[in-house]
Amino acid sequence: MPASAASNHPSRPEDLIGRLNSSHTSCEAKLKALRDLKNQIIGNRTKKLAFLKLAAAPSVVGILSSSAAAAAQGSGGDNREFHESVLIQSAAVIGSFACGLDAGVKAVLDAGAFPLLLSLISHLNEKVADACARSLKIIYQSKLAPKYDFLQKKSMEFVLSLLNSDNENVTGLGASIITHSCKTTMEQLTLSEAGVMKRLVGLLGGSLAQRDASLEALAAVIKDNPEVASSFIGPENGRELNVVTELLNDKYPRTRLLACMCLINVKNTSISYLQDRGIKNKLVLILLELLDDIGQVGDEAPFVLSNLITEKEDMQKLAFDANVVEKLCKHLQKVSFQAKCLQGIFIALADLCSKLECCRDRVINLTVINSVAGALAHDSAEVRAAACIFLKNVSRSVKNLSAGHFMNETVIVPLVRLLCDSCASVQIAALGAISNVVVDFAAYKPLFIQCGGVKGLVQLSKSMESSIRVNAVWALRNLAFLVNNRCKEEILLELSISTLASLISDPEASVQEQALALIRNLVDGTMNSIEYLFGEDGLLLHAVGRQLRNTSKPEVLIQGLYTLSNVASGNEHHKVAVMSQLCPQAGDNTETILVKFLQNSSRQLRTAAVWTIINLTLPSNPGASGRLTELRNMGVISRLKDMVNDPCLDVKLRTRMALGQLLMLGDAST
Amino acid sequence: MPVRVVETSSPSQVSGTTPGNTLPPPCTLLSVGQAFSGTQNVSSLQKDEAWRVNVRIQGVDLDHGYLCGTMEALNVPMADTPVVTFWEGEIVDTKNYTFFTGKWGASAEDDIKHWTKFPSFSLLQSEVEADGGKSLDLSNYPHIFMRWKEQYFVNVGTDCGLTIAGFYYVCFSCSDGSINGFYYDPNSSPFQKLELKSTNDGRPGFSFSSYELQ
Repeated sequence: MPASAASNHPSRPEDLIGRLNSSHTSCEAKLKALRDLKNQIIGNRTKKLAFLKLAAAPSVVGILSSSAAAAAQGSGGDNREFHESVLIQSAAVIGSFACGLDAGVKAVLDAGAFPLLLSLISHLNEKVADACARSLKIIYQSKLAPKYDFLQKKSMEFVLSLLNSDNENVTGLGASIITHSCKTTMEQLTLSEAGVMKRLVGLLGGSLAQRDASLEALAAVIKDNPEVASSFIGPENGRELNVVTELLNDKYPRTRLLACMCLINVKNTSISYLQDRGIKNKLVLILLELLDDIGQVGDEAPFVLSNLITEKEDMQKLAFDANVVEKLCKHLQKVSFQAKCLQGIFIALADLCSKLECCRDRVINLTVINSVAGALAHDSAEVRAAACIFLKNVSRSVKNLSAGHFMNETVIVPLVRLLCDSCASVQIAALGAISNVVVDFAAYKPLFIQCGGVKGLVQLSKSMESSIRVNAVWALRNLAFLVNNRCKEEILLELSISTLASLISDPEASVQEQALALIRNLVDGTMNSIEYLFGEDGLLLHAVGRQLRNTSKPEVLIQGLYTLSNVASGNEHHKVAVMSQLCPQAGDNTETILVKFLQNSSRQLRTAAVWTIINLTLPSNPGASGRLTELRNMGVISRLKDMVNDPCLDVKLRTRMALGQLLMLGDAST
Repeated sequence: MPVRVVETSSPSQVSGTTPGNTLPPPCTLLSVGQAFSGTQNVSSLQKDEAWRVNVRIQGVDLDHGYLCGTMEALNVPMADTPVVTFWEGEIVDTKNYTFFTGKWGASAEDDIKHWTKFPSFSLLQSEVEADGGKSLDLSNYPHIFMRWKEQYFVNVGTDCGLTIAGFYYVCFSCSDGSINGFYYDPNSSPFQKLELKSTNDGRPGFSFSSYELQ
């Protein structure tokens, strides 16, 4: 192993920093100290952190600054050579601190390294320019690096000058700046129109570093931008595309990964590019192989795979057929994973399980669900959220919900804990998973309540954040589906009738919809559950009626009307209460809301309206005739008769069913 | 003016449905949470026998021609408890599934033999025999044809002495929610008839619950 004398007997960090900072240290000793520092921190995260703690970054940036000034003053001969050596070493140390460590990037940026390094990339000594460009390129691997606004002429000219440089590290830096900074459609177009794509394709023929940086930049400029993608393919009949496609066969894994990324971005912009089965299969197979790569490529491959298959059922099927599920699950079961890698695997598995039942079955057969528990409690918020999204998608399977595969303590306990997560995106992801898992048909719902799930959901249903509120109420609604009265009572006790009533009139329509759907489920099942709506002087019943009169949103009306229809499927007292909500209120001369619902363009709302009439006029009920008279007086029956040929078959058949009942009740006009 | 309540729908009649949509229509009586009860005739040459049966719909995905649920057989001889199975259904929609099963040991001949036992199939028979019914528009047809295949036992082991090797040919009436079916298993008595009616959990009316997966 090559090592300097210093690295065999490393100096204490404090001593080394002392030597760098001391004005008594000779020039040679300072240069040696820089070399020692570089050798100690290369690839050693712990050492980097230790030196950063001792404020090594400002010391090194200070040396870079003073040497740059000294070199610029034009001192000649040995002195100039010495200053340039110092510049090279201090730039390398700065790059080393920034490499793979955001704390290092922050420290060197805070110390003012960026403008200094930038000014030195045009240094006459190529080695100095090279070292500075290399360090800047490393800084640009981090999201903390400064962004350039390409809509400004100066920035565009600067980046073009970098791309046109003869120095490969400088061109690589230009590409990295584009990758990091290009985010908006307008920036992509401006870069494309300035000829950046052509230059980047040209650089694909250069060194490995140039090739990789250019591929990454091309991917960034094309991403989600059909116009840029078509101009990339257009002019030379796909020559550029062929150059990138060729790189799928490159011997370097990172180049193959980046070529995949670039082509996937082109493919995702249009339904006509790269759609033949051959290339689709090839992309899947290359990524499958890259998943095995140990290190950065293996960590990033699942994200690229996700980009290839997300929302695309045909691609998910291809990946399934290529055994991608098995490969990802196998990786998941290996111990000691980096957060990034775990996050990527869960995201890719979530995509695979988003639509296809075969993928969900495979995942469950491979007992991956147990590995999720650990990920739900991971230190990284990204991993926790990704594990929740995976769980949400895999639990879209009614077959597995029916088998009770998700409702067990291993999954539920950590999932419920995430309802108190400090990160809102994790809370929302957890609510998504819970919404599905609690549909459970295997009668294990009480377990969720015992684990404190209802308490957590109720807490979040009061959140100021509407996206959290809606998801919390959604989960409660699914929990209340086909659940026994005991669980319903626990939900109501925890939530309270007054909170539920206020959720019905929440400012957000989506919350109103879920709250009404929750009540609809609460009053379904055994007949005595209808009584929940009558507690506290019928607070909920009145709130439902009020919402039906006040809103015009079909999705809210559908849930509200089904709630009343379910109540109307109860006893006489229940039916009378429903009639009182549907009749015009005192002093209100407008037509009954029921007539409006029968005329609504939403077939689901019309269906709910007819079911309500059916429930109110069942011939076997003593009060049916009286209600029929009331409904006739309100103009409901004449409207109903117009619907015997409703374009929606369900509405048509229900209408005929209702009219059949009216005939039995002796409605002569029917 | 009195209106005659008569079924006039025929398979080719298209009125008011989404253009291009030929799938069977959504029907509230066949939605998630709905329950049905009735009997399955399991008579053999030796003796007459019928099991009481309860069915609950747990999932419906019309776009993929899929539905699923549980089936509970109540007075099964030699079983201490009711036997619950989970089944998955294929909806004959001519897009995802046709009238021809093409698996589970059922030949085209077996298919026709079973479908023709449903009176409501007679209007479709000639087209099905001609080209498998590929061009049928079922979007306004008041019956939904399905195949239900039990996938696993929910509450008993596979050693319970019962089999779920076969599958059901099913016809659902959108008008009244009744279900008729015939169990097909080359190794069991032929044409075991399943007859179910929509139930209301003891209510004087119809109640509908719902869930929505994210």
